[in-house]
Formats: sequence, structure tokens, C-alpha cells
Amino acid sequence: MNLPKLVVNNMTRRRGRFVFTLLGITIGIGAFVTFLALGGSLKQEVMREANALGANLVVTPKGSCAYEQVSILTGEVLPSNITMEEYARVKALPGMTVVPVLAEKSAINNRPVSVSGILPDEMRAFKGWQIAAGSDLAATDEIAVLLGAEAAEQFRLQPGGKVVVRGEALPVKGVLAATGGKDDVTVFLPLATAQRLFGTGSHVSYLAVKVDDVTGIDLAIERIREQVSLGVVSDRQMLASVLAIVGSVNVTLQLIAAVAVLAAAFGIVNTMLTATYERKREIGILQALGATRRTIFTLFLVESGLYGLLGGVCGVGSGLLFTLAVAPHLEQNAFTSFVKGSGGIGLPDPLVIGGAILFSAAVAVLAGLYPAWRASRLSPVEAISYE
Amino acid sequence: MNDIITCRQLTKNYQRGSVVTPALRGVTLTIPRGSFTCIIGPSGHGKSTLMHLLGGLDRPTSGSVSLDGIALDTLDERALAEVRSRKIGFVFQFFNLLNNLTARENVELALMLAGVPGSRQTARAGDLLARVGLADRADYRPAQLSGGQQQRVAIARALANNPPLLLMDEPTGNLDSEAEAEILAILKSLHAEGTTVVLVTHNAEIAARAEQIIRVRDGLAFMTAEDAAAGRLVA
Repeated sequence: MNLPKLVVNNMTRRRGRFVFTLLGITIGIGAFVTFLALGGSLKQEVMREANALGANLVVTPKGSCAYEQVSILTGEVLPSNITMEEYARVKALPGMTVVPVLAEKSAINNRPVSVSGILPDEMRAFKGWQIAAGSDLAATDEIAVLLGAEAAEQFRLQPGGKVVVRGEALPVKGVLAATGGKDDVTVFLPLATAQRLFGTGSHVSYLAVKVDDVTGIDLAIERIREQVSLGVVSDRQMLASVLAIVGSVNVTLQLIAAVAVLAAAFGIVNTMLTATYERKREIGILQALGATRRTIFTLFLVESGLYGLLGGVCGVGSGLLFTLAVAPHLEQNAFTSFVKGSGGIGLPDPLVIGGAILFSAAVAVLAGLYPAWRASRLSPVEAISYE
Repeated sequence: MNDIITCRQLTKNYQRGSVVTPALRGVTLTIPRGSFTCIIGPSGHGKSTLMHLLGGLDRPTSGSVSLDGIALDTLDERALAEVRSRKIGFVFQFFNLLNNLTARENVELALMLAGVPGSRQTARAGDLLARVGLADRADYRPAQLSGGQQQRVAIARALANNPPLLLMDEPTGNLDSEAEAEILAILKSLHAEGTTVVLVTHNAEIAARAEQIIRVRDGLAFMTAEDAAAGRLVA
């Protein structure tokens, strides 16, 4: 006989209670790990999209905030009130390449897709696109679409097929080679065609700017601001503000998970307190046999901590499984679309996994302090005389 | 040092709210080493309280208890637990085995609490169970054993650390006469080997075998029935 054996024996004698208490902490830690994993890949994805944007600067409507910046990265609809005349003025500035983008949204087979109106030649040069099948769009008022690699695969579309946008059937002219960014899930229209279909007149959503000399980026911003009354944001600023949003979303999710863990902790308190009442007599027997208060305290505290350790391991396992299962099915919106279609969830690093298990054990030990103290304060006679 | 237990002017009050109930009102007695002593008396007059104080399970309100030369009232909680582990074997009326553990594990528990390493526990527990005639029941749980068998496991557990003193509270109070005879035979042989046996009982037949009888009445202890009738306390 040894202490661990006694603890396990005590713990598992009430099977139902054992399972449900364990389930509580498992769910709490599972939620925690799920949010951590999703949040982690959200961040990675933001970085990747910012990279794939291929621009040093983005010119947005005046007064744009972080939300619009997220939308640029995710391909959401943006207000379109930058005029082609403003585009022309920015384009005329020296030392930079500028492309206009009209960001809209449509649906294929009832699934939402991002639609971008672009100037085909400029955009291809800007992004360094390769055409995988068919050919590129030719003119800006051509009635045709260019598909991202993943969109083509998802909807089984090839050159010669048709895509309905705003009630108008457009032939698929070409399919892009995979880029690894949101371009892969986007439908591209010649700008003039897109402006006509979405009724935006001669407006676009934003201008992507590539500066010839990266060290002169501040100067470039100044020049654009002198030229047009629009917002200008560098890719770094954009990344920082988007990551700040992602960060606050993550913190919120983790707070929710923390509440779940807290609730589970009270489940442990409840289970352990019940156990001290149930085992009152046994505690007295142990004391008569020579157990010190410290032994009784340890016995209960270890049992409680073991709930945390087991729950932590189960929680991490189920959290990761859940993440893998659920991530591909997340509804697309500004935040979750980063996760969706990112081609797999990165496993959180071992430090996070170990940390979650340790956190779980620590919470459980804390939860066990009061019941263990109660148990150890019983006097032998009080405990033995208890019927 | 010829007395294993000496207690002087032992009192114990129980307090519930503002109501103080005296359970012992000044008990002075000695129990010789190696003796077979019975504590008898009506229910509710303080027998069990006395046993708890003698065994260090509870602390007196006033007075002193000395066990094997150790003044229990001066000990802290940890030292008192040590005394319970090494100096005393307790046996209770309702066996008080841990129902989740086998007979062997129940005995091992007492060894574990005395710090005996796991490797030596199993053999020692086996010997003790053989001693009480339960070698073939070592892996049974209490619920699979008869009352007499359970009490024999409890005795094996009480003997685990070779204590010089066995303190028993109505050990046969819950058993049929056959089981009672088995228990008494074991106690007799333990006594013959030099263990001091102190037994709280209602049973006059058992008391008749004792070398010394202590009568507890109204929270006081007397050596003989005449003393009790006359109210003559032990010196």
C-alpha cells in the first residue's frame, strides 16, 4: 500500500462522480486549448495574408479603421468611394506601382466568395501571378472571370465553365496557379465589368501600392497624402492593427474558456467536499492508525490535483481533436475566414500544451485546498463516532 | 515503569453551544504492563471517552495521561499520531475496515502509515493475517467476509506495528458467540505473549476473565463493585 494507490482507489470508487468531475475539467481545458489553437492559427494566417497582399502601402477611404484593414486582408466587401481620378493621381506619383481593387462579394452554389474587380495586366505584374489553365483576362471591360486555384477546385470550374455574378453568367477564362493566400479563393473580374455589375460607378475600394525603394516608404506616404485626401497605411501598420484586433478576440475567447475552467474548478471543490463528508469515518480510522493531519491533507490534495492532471491531458487531447474537426467548418467572416481555407491548423507548440496541463493541475490543486484543509481538521473521535 | 498507562485527574467536557456536558469528572487509574484489563459500565457513562483519551485519539479537558512513559498531553498532533501508530492497536465494535480495500491492503495501510516500505508490507501483512487464521482470505474485501472475519482483520491491522498495547471498544459487541470465542482465543494468546489488552465491554462473561476490572460510572472510575457502590475512587 502506498499513497498514490490509496488516492487512485479513493478517486475511482464513485465512478459516475469521477467521470463527471473529470468531464468538467476536460471541457474547460478543451475549450481553452481549442481557442488557443484557433487563435494561434488566426495570427499565423493574418501574417501570411499580409505577406500575400504584396503591397507596402494601402490607400483606403478617409477614416478607415482597423476593421477595413482586416477586410482588405480577408477579402470582405469594402465601401467603394475612391474615384478613378484619385487612382490616376496616385499612379502618376514617381517611385511606386499602384493597382486599384474593387472588393465585393458574391456566391457560387450558395457559398460566399470574394469578388475582386481588377485591372488585369497591372494586377498580374503587381502580384507576379501565373496562369495555371486557360488565359488571363485581356481588357478591363471584358465579360469574363479569372478564378483562384482553390475556388476553381472547390466549385469544379475550368476555363469554358460559367460563373453567375449579379445575375449575369460570365465565362471562366482562366485559373490562377496557387498563391497560398486569399487570392486562391477569389473570383477576379475586369474592373469595368465589376463596377458595372455592382453598380459602383467609377469607384474602387482601395489602392495597393508597391514602393520601389522600401527605405523611402515614409516619403511615399507623404507624397500620396499631398496628392489625394485619402487614408494611407503601411503594411506594417496594418499588420499591427489587425493583430491587435486578433489579439483582443483571442483574449476574449480565452476569458470565456477561463470561465469554463473556473466552473470546472468549483466542480472539483464540490466533489472533494462531498468526499470529505462521505469519508469522514475513514479519515478517523486513518488517524487512529497513525495518519497525521498532513497525511490526510496530502491525500485529499493529491486526489484533487490528479483530477486536474487527468482533466488537463484529456482536455488538451480533445481540444486539439475538436480544433482539427471544427476549423474547416467555421462560417466565413472577417475573423474566422483567416482560419478557414488556411490549409490546416498548426498544432500549438509543446510549451502551450504542457502549460495547459500544468495550468489545469494548478487550478485543481487550488480547488482542493479547502476540502483538504477541512478533511485534515477533523478530530479522530469526531470522525470515528460519525455514523 | 511497570504500568503501561497512568492517568491522573482526567476530566473531559463536551461543549455544544453554551451547554457543557461533563463526560469524565476526574479519573485516576493505572494499567499494569502485560495485563488484561476490562473497562465496564453502563452506556453513556464515559467508557468510550476514557478509551479515546487513553489512546490519544482525543485530548482531556484537564488531567494527564502517560502511555509507556510518554506524557500524551505534552505531545503535538504529529507526535500523538506517531504514538497511535507505534504504541497502540485500536479495535472497534464496528470493525472500521476500509471497505474499498482488501483484507491485506487494510493491514498494509497501518504499515504504510508507520513508514514501512512497500516491499516489506505484503509479507508482513500476510503473516499477520495468517496469525488470525485468515491467510486464505487476504484478497477478500470486507463485504465478502463475515463479521468475525472482519474483526480478525481489524485485529491483524491493530497488531501491524507490534504495539505494546491493544485498545478495544466492544470488539465482540457485534458478533455471534462462535465468532466471539474465536476473537477471545486470539486475545488470550496475544496476552500470553505479553501484549497489554485493554477492552471496553458490556459483556460480563468477558469481564470475568480480566485480571483487572475498571468500572466507569457517572464519569468516574472505580476498581471494584463495592468501591463503586461506596463511591470510593481509585487512589
